[in-house]
Amino acid sequence: MAEIYLNDIAHGRSGDKGDTSNVCVYARKPEYYKIIEREVTPEKLKAYFGDMVKGEITRYDVPSLGGFNFVMKHALGGGATMSLRLDSLGKSMGSAVMRMKIHVEDGEL
Amino acid sequence: MKKIAIGGGQGFWGDSPDAAIHMIRNADIQYMGCDYLAELTLSIMAKQQLKDPSKGFAPDFQTRILKEAGKEAWQKNIRICTNAGGMNVTGCVDGIKNWAEGEDMKGYKIGYVLGDNIKDKIPQLLADGWTFPNFDYDGNFEDIVDKIYNCNVYIGHEGIEGCLEQGADVVITGRAADSALFLAPLKYEFGWAADDWDNLARGIMVGHMLECGGQGAGGNFMYDWRSVPRMDELGFPIAEVTEDTLEVTKAPDCGGLISEQSVKEQFLYEVHDPANYWTPDVDVDISQATITQVGDNRVRVGGIKGKKRPDTLKLCVGYHKGWKTVSMLSFAWPDAYEKAQYCAEVIMKKMQRRGMKADDIHISYIGLNSLHLGVADMSEEALKNLNECVLRIAVFSEDKSECAKIIPEISPLQLNGPPGASFFGGRSHVQEVMALWPTTVPRDVVQVESRILTV
Repeated sequence: MAEIYLNDIAHGRSGDKGDTSNVCVYARKPEYYKIIEREVTPEKLKAYFGDMVKGEITRYDVPSLGGFNFVMKHALGGGATMSLRLDSLGKSMGSAVMRMKIHVEDGEL
Repeated sequence: MKKIAIGGGQGFWGDSPDAAIHMIRNADIQYMGCDYLAELTLSIMAKQQLKDPSKGFAPDFQTRILKEAGKEAWQKNIRICTNAGGMNVTGCVDGIKNWAEGEDMKGYKIGYVLGDNIKDKIPQLLADGWTFPNFDYDGNFEDIVDKIYNCNVYIGHEGIEGCLEQGADVVITGRAADSALFLAPLKYEFGWAADDWDNLARGIMVGHMLECGGQGAGGNFMYDWRSVPRMDELGFPIAEVTEDTLEVTKAPDCGGLISEQSVKEQFLYEVHDPANYWTPDVDVDISQATITQVGDNRVRVGGIKGKKRPDTLKLCVGYHKGWKTVSMLSFAWPDAYEKAQYCAEVIMKKMQRRGMKADDIHISYIGLNSLHLGVADMSEEALKNLNECVLRIAVFSEDKSECAKIIPEISPLQLNGPPGASFFGGRSHVQEVMALWPTTVPRDVVQVESRILTV
């Protein structure tokens, strides 16, 4: 078993609507979809972000595109207008998700 | 088979005009959509308009795109739909009229759409018992009523299509939904019925893939940004639509990349539930969609479905929330982070002594954790040899004078704090904080009008 960054097997993009951040996460190869499905659950992502994401996280699976959409509420310190964060639009929330460490079994990659 | 090509010309107010101009000159398109409005843009425009009634729209559409290539677009019969009108649609139209007269473009038809601004209707709606529930937070709408800058409904394609039917060469709207700028010409050209939900959904997704400009053609591309050719001449995406097919490509002889991955990254951007992506025109279902590379810089998109449009329309209310200041100080090796951190403590102690009443304070360190915050690498190894670090302190208060208290306390720390503190960019200023109140209104509150002004 090895520990890798999600970034090694996935790519995506973050966007904002008010204080909600969404990050779409796609498998870099079709066979990685199952790994992401298993390793990146809303519960794990919520624990990973801790206080940074105050609201609930929902995952929508889109197998036809080989990806997932994570919707994170109260995730931007108030959102574009009110946030005191440098990155008030959460442009780097995508790379923050990709920085999460996940486990892969031997032979999965 | 009839094929319509439509280009995305702008991704936001302040975007580069280069790709739009290149597209008009070099691509075989019949339409272009130019999106200027992000969530907060209308509030900023409303504030500008309060100070100067002739402002409140995105003049760049005329001064940067039409001035360069608008006449050529007209001669080639490329019709452009844009929400550049912002809070002042008629002001935007006047500017375009003056430009077209100066270019001797007799017969140029400027279409414009009114009706998204419903600020005047708020008192009546409240009296009728509409409560304006906030999607994101609890709260009572009556508490913000006297602090409102703007109340604009996200309107759909109808007004734009109305202008195209009357022969408009350019269509100016206020808060039309970004994707409606693209759906309207497609619905008009193909004659789709108002309840042809699958086709309306296809038109909306064309808009969704194009409304962010370069981001749909290799900009902001996480998959492999190094593989994107010539970002200095990044092309914006073009959709080619027939009754049966939808393909995305870009103009000839420009940079950028249209690949399965670059289109996918934009496809779910700012979507929440992929099976229910609500727009004023249709409830879009892309949960079964497919994206396939079918050629060089060309992908095909399929499997888009639509369901009946929602009964209410989204209303975005921008209002005054308070004030903020952002202060920064830079530090270099050795111990850059430790020095910056100590400096933050010093400032906070001083502010406590000055009795600053802040409603929120956010401290971060640029170069270390200001972007990834709680998930940034703060290990000893990461901190040990840090070359430099910038302390950033942001303060929010409903009281302007409270925010201002921190401003004179920053620069003295160059002489009175840990070694090497460097103050840059001049003293900070108190900035107004505006907030959004996302809510809905019944459809029948909005009466959209399509008008034409012929030069």
